[in-house]
Amino acid sequence: MFHWLEKNPFFFAVGVFVTIAFAGLIEIVPNFAEASRPVIGTTPYSTLELAGRNVYIKNSCNACHSQLIRPFKSETDRYGHYSLSGEYAFDRPFLWGSKRTGPDLHRVGNYRTTDWHENHMKDPAAVVPGSIMPKYTWMYTNLADIDTAFAEQLTVNQFFAVPYNKPVPMKDGSTTVVKMGGSVAEANALALAEAKEIVKDMKDQDVKDAVASGKIPEIVALIAYMNSLK
Amino acid sequence: MNIADLQAYGYFAITVFMTVSLYAYIYHLYKNKKDADGHDYEEYSNMALHDDIGDTPVNPISKDDKK
Amino acid sequence: MENRPLGYDYTVAKMFMLTTIVLGIVGMLIGVILAFELAFPSINTILGSGLAEYTNFSRLRPLHTDAVIFGFTISGVFATWYYVGQRVLKVNMAESPLLMFLGKLQFWLYVVTVAAVVVSLLAGVTTSKEYAEFEWPIDLAIVVVWVLFGVNMFGLIGMRREKSLYISVWYYIATFLGIAMLYLFNNMEVPTMLATSAAGETGIGSWYHSVSMYAGTNDALVQWWYGHNAVAFGFTVPIVAMIYYFLPKESGQAIYSYKLSLLSFWGLMFVYLWAGGHHLLFSTVPDWMQTMGSIFSIVLILPSWGSAINMLLTMKGEWQQVAASPLIKFMVLGSTFYMFSTLEGPIQAIKSVNAIAHFTDWIVGHVHDGVLGWVGFMIMAALYHMAPRVFKREIYSKSLMASQFWIQTLGVVLYFTSMWIAGITQGMMWRAHDEFGNLAYSFIDTVTVLHPYYAIRGVGGLLYLIGFLMFAYNIYKTMTAGKPLEKEPANASPMGA
Repeated sequence: MFHWLEKNPFFFAVGVFVTIAFAGLIEIVPNFAEASRPVIGTTPYSTLELAGRNVYIKNSCNACHSQLIRPFKSETDRYGHYSLSGEYAFDRPFLWGSKRTGPDLHRVGNYRTTDWHENHMKDPAAVVPGSIMPKYTWMYTNLADIDTAFAEQLTVNQFFAVPYNKPVPMKDGSTTVVKMGGSVAEANALALAEAKEIVKDMKDQDVKDAVASGKIPEIVALIAYMNSLK
Repeated sequence: MNIADLQAYGYFAITVFMTVSLYAYIYHLYKNKKDADGHDYEEYSNMALHDDIGDTPVNPISKDDKK
Repeated sequence: MENRPLGYDYTVAKMFMLTTIVLGIVGMLIGVILAFELAFPSINTILGSGLAEYTNFSRLRPLHTDAVIFGFTISGVFATWYYVGQRVLKVNMAESPLLMFLGKLQFWLYVVTVAAVVVSLLAGVTTSKEYAEFEWPIDLAIVVVWVLFGVNMFGLIGMRREKSLYISVWYYIATFLGIAMLYLFNNMEVPTMLATSAAGETGIGSWYHSVSMYAGTNDALVQWWYGHNAVAFGFTVPIVAMIYYFLPKESGQAIYSYKLSLLSFWGLMFVYLWAGGHHLLFSTVPDWMQTMGSIFSIVLILPSWGSAINMLLTMKGEWQQVAASPLIKFMVLGSTFYMFSTLEGPIQAIKSVNAIAHFTDWIVGHVHDGVLGWVGFMIMAALYHMAPRVFKREIYSKSLMASQFWIQTLGVVLYFTSMWIAGITQGMMWRAHDEFGNLAYSFIDTVTVLHPYYAIRGVGGLLYLIGFLMFAYNIYKTMTAGKPLEKEPANASPMGA
């Protein structure tokens, strides 16, 4: 009966395809609409935060750090409230990670400061003795790619209706607006303004000078992103 | 009835169907021993053992079933 | 009888044998470096702080996984297909000049793509999705390589003299279809250069950058549906294809049960795809999907063991061959490791076990006992079996092969035992509370405690790499200095001292 398939490669291939595609249809498709709604208080990333997120991705920080707090007492004690699906509504790609060589970072903005990150990224073992995290010294000189972050904002805004320049509801009933530039120059100006706020809390003179002269090192963008994780 | 209910019923029905077909298939294989062309299934192992280009195929493609 | 060619043409198989070995060395070498970086962090700046960006753990990690998956393993799949495919279908690839051309084209395009992957990952151009890190231009190149592979596969099948497809061919077809489907859906992305600003500017920023079509939880769901099944259709299905051909052929024993192979094939196809949810237990995907992932992972033991037991029973009454031939040792230990990791995986997919195991090194250990013990051993065995037939020479050294076997086995054992202990230790320490209900350990305590296990793991990996270099040397010497063979050996591969 079935052995007929093994003599007819075309129908065999069709049979295999149907068998393997079946699971995906049932498991993945029904969830799509429901999971993509943001929870109240989740805002899109600003240009600088998004540039920082791309620095995070560029250096595969997700190879060692998760961004997913599981609903266990030991995890909520350590990292804060467990993660909710809607909090990730603007995460493209998701950055849950699969390995915790270092701690979870989903709410790192609640308990670490600009100043802490500045020292830590330069020499992790000096801040946390025994740390096996490498030094990320190049982030203090490489410049963040603001243009690409802006292009990413435009893309998600145009293709996936991510609400930029629009009021977004917050938990306390108020609304907030995340601004996106109208041109490349405007986007860079917005990012620079945000960077200037961040370097106020930093000590590295070279980074301060760079921002003062209109350039944004990767570390500033990364810290903006880290601080946005709450 | 919402999508989750439908999924649950669909799931149950498919599970029963798959289980029945699997066991029916196993029963069929071991009862008949031979496939529709009259070859014992176990003969097909020879496809790996006698795989020289000059060896006779277990089940040669004949002129009329070219497709 | 119709006119038959005199033999098979292994040109393309040889080309891919070369990349299997070269990329195997690259991938494993990076793996060893990574292992020692975790044990001794100063290695992160081994080439000086100027080049630290390119030698640090996080930048190299995707290069390791991708070199081993898409370099070593997929090359091995191509190499064995262009060998096994011809033989079980009884056609010579050279009978069709078009297929020969497409095969060579596939190889060269593959080499170019690999080079692009290496450069882009070192530069930090990545989408961050595991085993799907490549940006869209490389994705497109990969699709072309894969389509060429499919055209070749179905082209050869269309020319076949044997009407029925052998078991291995089923698995190769499934590999082709499975990876095609998974890869396409997981890599759906929108290039950011398509966006237009309010001021009318286009093509802003990096031309190769893109954003995923899916967001957050959905992205995770699609990614792990892919990620889990990339393992299924890269590390399981084609490797099963190999063992169904090479073990019977090398030992001269018919498969224990062809019927069982039918059952386990369709069983594996149906069940495997459901299990992806076990990567997302206790995450924000709906509960029913998590449970489903868990249950199907347990069910998966059945078809996996169906194949593995079929292999071991094929050796029934012939166990003296295992003692006598190091080549058979590789395959028998390979199928044993397959049984072992397909039992370990489902255990880790049980929710309560996963609560401890997830995010720890136990998962890393699980991947590696499967990949080093099963995938690596099987691909090396396949290449050892192919070498005398492809190069028409005896395998250079049996004793070298035997020592390699024991060195690598020791390496694998050190690897997974240390990672088990590390993973369970860390998982338990994360959740430990003191008598007042406070966390007993700070995070860094759970890192420093792992140092000895990371060091042992590094040694295990190093032993495996040494074994692989011995393998590469043995194949090289077979090509250049092996004793020439008069005629092709039927079964057991001839080996020099």
